[in-house]
Amino acid sequence: MTAVLGVSAYSHEAAAALVVDGVVVAAIAEERLSRVKNDASLPVRAMRACLALGEIAAGDLDEIVFFEDPFRKLEHVLVRAIGGFPRTGTLFARSLASQLGEKIWVLDALAAALEVPRGRVTFGSHHQSHAASAFFTSGEARAAILTVDGVGEDVCTAIWLGEGTSLRCLAEQRHPCSLGLLYAAFTAHAGFAINEGEQKLMGLAAYGTPRFRDELSRVAWLESGALVLDGDVFDHFRDPDRAFGPRFEARFGPARRANERLRVGEPGFARFADLAATIQAFTEDTMMAFAREAKARTGADVLCLAGGVALNAVANARLGAIFERVFVHPAAGDAGAALGAALFRCPPKQPQAAFSATLGRRADETTAWDLARALGLEVSRTDDAALAIARALEHGELVAVVDGRSEWGPRALGHRSLLAPAGPVSVRERLHRAVKEREPFRPFAPAAGASVAAARFDGVSPSLARFMTGVARARDPHDPALGAVVHVDGTARLQLVEDDASLLARVLALVPGGVVLNTSLNAAGEPLCESALDAIAFFQDRPIDALVIGDVIVRRPGAVS
Amino acid sequence: MKQLVRLSRRLRAHLTTLGAIFSHFSSTERAFLLPLLVVLLLAGLLLLLSTGVGYVTPFVYTAF
Repeated sequence: MTAVLGVSAYSHEAAAALVVDGVVVAAIAEERLSRVKNDASLPVRAMRACLALGEIAAGDLDEIVFFEDPFRKLEHVLVRAIGGFPRTGTLFARSLASQLGEKIWVLDALAAALEVPRGRVTFGSHHQSHAASAFFTSGEARAAILTVDGVGEDVCTAIWLGEGTSLRCLAEQRHPCSLGLLYAAFTAHAGFAINEGEQKLMGLAAYGTPRFRDELSRVAWLESGALVLDGDVFDHFRDPDRAFGPRFEARFGPARRANERLRVGEPGFARFADLAATIQAFTEDTMMAFAREAKARTGADVLCLAGGVALNAVANARLGAIFERVFVHPAAGDAGAALGAALFRCPPKQPQAAFSATLGRRADETTAWDLARALGLEVSRTDDAALAIARALEHGELVAVVDGRSEWGPRALGHRSLLAPAGPVSVRERLHRAVKEREPFRPFAPAAGASVAAARFDGVSPSLARFMTGVARARDPHDPALGAVVHVDGTARLQLVEDDASLLARVLALVPGGVVLNTSLNAAGEPLCESALDAIAFFQDRPIDALVIGDVIVRRPGAVS
Repeated sequence: MKQLVRLSRRLRAHLTTLGAIFSHFSSTERAFLLPLLVVLLLAGLLLLLSTGVGYVTPFVYTAF
């Protein structure tokens, strides 16, 4: 038996993943357990949870693999500091303090945390870990792989060829010409936090037109399939949290402060929507150029994608024009690289056809029952949870669902989900304003089975829709059954539910229209709920109607079910 | 005793990492970074000693 633990940390998403003999046993992001959104600290809780799920002692691990090369990263920081001096002055001190104070010793910290010999702790490389996460979970024997990120060590984009159990890097693009950092600059300029607000910018883009395209083409352009950026306009050297400089503002207008209102129809909204549409269109075109390059270099029919930019569902959906099948790892960001690091060391012997994203912990129903009773909530058991949920949805209720093991990656796929009827627009507004407290311009996603998806949507890619990593277009944008889940441009980030035995599939079979609104079980700025305790805390805090954990149904006292 | 074993294990781990750092930076194309790195590591060590080990603090002043 070969057991390998992959770890990502000190980036923006820490995570751990356990692979035994090429089979993924467990994978959890640290934020789910620490309850700190985008927790980047050493994932001690996640590592222990993975070992517990695999029933393996730390001493029995053959290898613990860190997802990137800490020494190459330090080299990149030093080279960047010297090359960009004096602009890099303040950033240099900060970066070096964190590199030499903590990050460079990460392998020692891992050995100490797990109490294993230091010799068992090794490292991979950032993009190699991303590539492995996408290819070895795709179920393909041969594929082109594209890893598109902000920056990992000193690489921003890479093209790989995956064959059997091997990965070969064919081309790399180095810092600072990064599509991820370019998107991050526009995200920060629109007043959203980098590594968190990119999805908001993507949602905002649907309201605008790309009228800044000419302006953008003067500072970012494609040359022989590679991206080139005008370094003077961006400010990654000085402030990675801001990423854009004064010349960026001179060209695209003043930035929005994070606390400034951004509402449809209000002053300023149109400019930021147009800027979002501009960078979104540029991102899609650049991804198409990268994909064409990958196709030319590999001749493969399948494309596997990973890296932060691979979370851009709208861009992913366009890549189907170049490849027969496009697969995006469900945790395409740095958390997913933990799994990739482990899979690279211990790849599956045969391509695994159906990768399951339910790799987290199971919520304890007994705890849920006891806790809800202690809190004076109304608790009951059901022998048909799907029927109970479907009936509640028919009555227009919002139902939190905790079913089995939690999902790997940022999308709720029916295991830590908040379900609602997909038709009424009022449901969307209630969710936006009262439950999720997020920007009203952001869309919610539908979940549907294969036949309903085919009947109501065009351009459904099963491999993308399975993990909500692509978008489909509603056949009728004004379909009353999809009022709460179709975005202003007629698209939806559809989840295709293929496992007929799953709770969500059984709910879909019972609800009228066969489609529900499925959003993640968390509020703004919080990680997804993991345990029964998290779910009950969410239920107590937010105006939702029912919580279903396994066969336990929780309601407020006096509520009529 | 257990603490001593843990401390010695941690020290050995740090020495392994230091070895890996120097091995990484000693290749021809990266050697120009080595002096800068040594100075930074020594400064870091000095800072660590001055804040972490009380009885070393008075001697740090004399170093400057």
